Amino acid sequence: MDVKKGKARSVFIGVCVAPAVILFTIFMLIPTFNVFKMSLYKWGGYSNKKEFVGFNNFKILAEDMNFFRSFQNTILLIVCVTVVTMALSLIFAAILSREKIKGQNFYRIIFYIPNILSVVVISAIFSAIYDPNNGLLNSIIGIFRSGDKSPILWLGDQKLVIYSLVIAMIWQAIGYYMVMYMASMASVPESLYESANLEGAGRVQQFFSITLPLIWTNVRTTLTFFVISSINLSFLFVKALTSGGPDGATEVFLSYMYKQAYTNSSYGYGMAIGVVVFLFSFGLSAVVNFVTKREPLEF
Amino acid sequence: MKLKKVISAIAIVSMTASLLAGCGDSGNSQTPAADNTPTDTKQEEPKEEPKEEPAQEAEAETEAPAVEEQVLKVAAFEGGYGADMWTEVAAAFEASHPGVTVELTVDKKIEDVISPSMKAGDYPDVVHLATGREAALTETLTKENALLPLTDVLEMTVPGESVKVKDKIVPGFLDTLATNPYGDGVTYYAPMFYSPCGLFYNAGLFKEKGWDVPTTWEEMWALGDTAAAEGIALFTYPTTGYFDAFTYATLSSAGGSDFFNSCMTYEDGIWESENATKVFELIEKLGTYTEATTVANANNDNFTKNQQLILDNKAIFCPNGTWLPGEMADAPRADGFEWGFMAIPAVNAGGAGCSFCWFEQMWIPAAAENQDMAKEFVAYMYSDEAAQIFAKSAAIQPIAGVSDYLEGDNKMFYSIYDNGATAVMGGFAATAPVEGVNMLDTLCGTVNSIVSGDKTVADWQAAVEEASDKLRAAME
Repeated sequence: MDVKKGKARSVFIGVCVAPAVILFTIFMLIPTFNVFKMSLYKWGGYSNKKEFVGFNNFKILAEDMNFFRSFQNTILLIVCVTVVTMALSLIFAAILSREKIKGQNFYRIIFYIPNILSVVVISAIFSAIYDPNNGLLNSIIGIFRSGDKSPILWLGDQKLVIYSLVIAMIWQAIGYYMVMYMASMASVPESLYESANLEGAGRVQQFFSITLPLIWTNVRTTLTFFVISSINLSFLFVKALTSGGPDGATEVFLSYMYKQAYTNSSYGYGMAIGVVVFLFSFGLSAVVNFVTKREPLEF
Repeated sequence: MKLKKVISAIAIVSMTASLLAGCGDSGNSQTPAADNTPTDTKQEEPKEEPKEEPAQEAEAETEAPAVEEQVLKVAAFEGGYGADMWTEVAAAFEASHPGVTVELTVDKKIEDVISPSMKAGDYPDVVHLATGREAALTETLTKENALLPLTDVLEMTVPGESVKVKDKIVPGFLDTLATNPYGDGVTYYAPMFYSPCGLFYNAGLFKEKGWDVPTTWEEMWALGDTAAAEGIALFTYPTTGYFDAFTYATLSSAGGSDFFNSCMTYEDGIWESENATKVFELIEKLGTYTEATTVANANNDNFTKNQQLILDNKAIFCPNGTWLPGEMADAPRADGFEWGFMAIPAVNAGGAGCSFCWFEQMWIPAAAENQDMAKEFVAYMYSDEAAQIFAKSAAIQPIAGVSDYLEGDNKMFYSIYDNGATAVMGGFAATAPVEGVNMLDTLCGTVNSIVSGDKTVADWQAAVEEASDKLRAAME
């Protein structure tokens, strides 16, 4: 009787899990496996002429200076966007959930709007902001600048342009993470702040000793999001805003992968870049996860 | 007990459902921009199909029933000339070829529309798509040897006429690397609409200031200094992509057509030769005369701002093709603005000016099912009937006399070769793909760094020679 029941139970579990497993296999495992497989071939993407070249694509990659430049740019974007966005959205979230400000909901919506806009729209907005002659940014800076009036080329100066991308990406991301942090801040019990007030802790101290430790698990989760979304979104921004230029100064992982896989007809090589991106983002997330591990606090 | 089971069953069903719902929403960060293309096709198709099919059915009924029914799949890039001319040409082809139905796909991103089914083995019979596009579908198929040679098409008689295709095409158009990509004399691309590239300017500005249009680079620099005093820059460019035509023309002007072909076929040391150095240094000097904000706007989002500089009298010359006036048709402009167009001045003193002749290409994939009819279609493109339909949209076939159909500015643009400029045609020879090496990026993309001073000519030249070495090794 018990054996029969146990068997029925495992059949039931099997049936329940099957849809997820099947979907996961078809849409995640098989494509990922294919990326790994294709990275070992020399192939243009269309013909039947696939030539197995082993790790040759990776060997070429190890000497490809353009790839290293896109690697550097991606890391710079991940670091800058993560640090600044996290800091700003934590501050805004703390202010909006802890302080009593008029029109709180209004600000919440305003901050979230960039996240609803498509990246192409955001790029158009920032193209206008960065315009060398009539752009918002140069016009404002122009008020304070006297003498040398040559315009700042936000999208033309190779040392500046990557930071112009950083600014656009931060602007886009703040609202999303702010809402996430606000949600977890809302669940921190009010009594903790009351007793901290009685003990004489200031607002800043309350933030670092109560708020931050108690939403730590949430912050950790968002770090992984930052890594993934910086890699993905930077491609869209680069595609729409700079096309990788000037002269490759804003080339990132995925835009370089696209260029190689399609424009340069080296699909296999593009997939090799895909493998490196995959391993890199996986590894980085694991490291970030490990480094930020803390004993979760109960409240 | 039973109730518990029912509840857990409901819970599981709802969880599965939410999982599936999750599939539909891929989140804000995962969807690549190119994913929206299938909708484009859908928008495109209904426009054309209702027009063609009824016409075809009616025809099939009236024509003799003995005719074999054939479907010809044609995919065409919708460029600045619009999509209507393709619909019209397809209808005319059907009318002259009973029993043939042309299944037409026209799109601005045609490669995104046709490549998924091509990967699955379903190829169009004829494709009109030029080289030099970002997705590089034409180049990819060339590099993979997946095109059909068009040698016998050239020997065919133009449908409805008594002339051979090769005799109808303007001489010179069939001897270039832009039609014979492997440099072995075999034609794989049929030359379609051509467009002279050169320097556009505001002729009204020259009249107003009493300047002469420069014919040599010496005069060019002198004009640059004069104009700079009035706050007008000598030069601007839309994006560095336009430097392909510019460099090809100047290379040819510096060293002649054999030299140009040696460059295009990656001859050893050719990019470090004296003639090539002249071109590199010319572009470097031009960089110092380039409008200051050009580099910042030289991207896909903002290149029209650079073109606008010409209309606003902020810069004098801009390299471009004949589609520029159409592209800027609705843009505001300075009083007395008038399009002017000239060839690129000779690099050597006393030489002839030159203009790169850019043309679009049509080709047949080797995997096409209906190859005979595809060849017939390509041959038909050179008939007077087809050429006239194209010419109505200002798309000019390389057939003698077709540019006579043009009027106004367009006539002036196409008369550039009649005024002594040498026509330069071609492009880099096809090689097997070389990972990490992109010649056009190295040659043209670097111009931004030269103008902004981030790289020196020596670095640039060395990088081009290195790319050339790697590509030469991959030539078959």
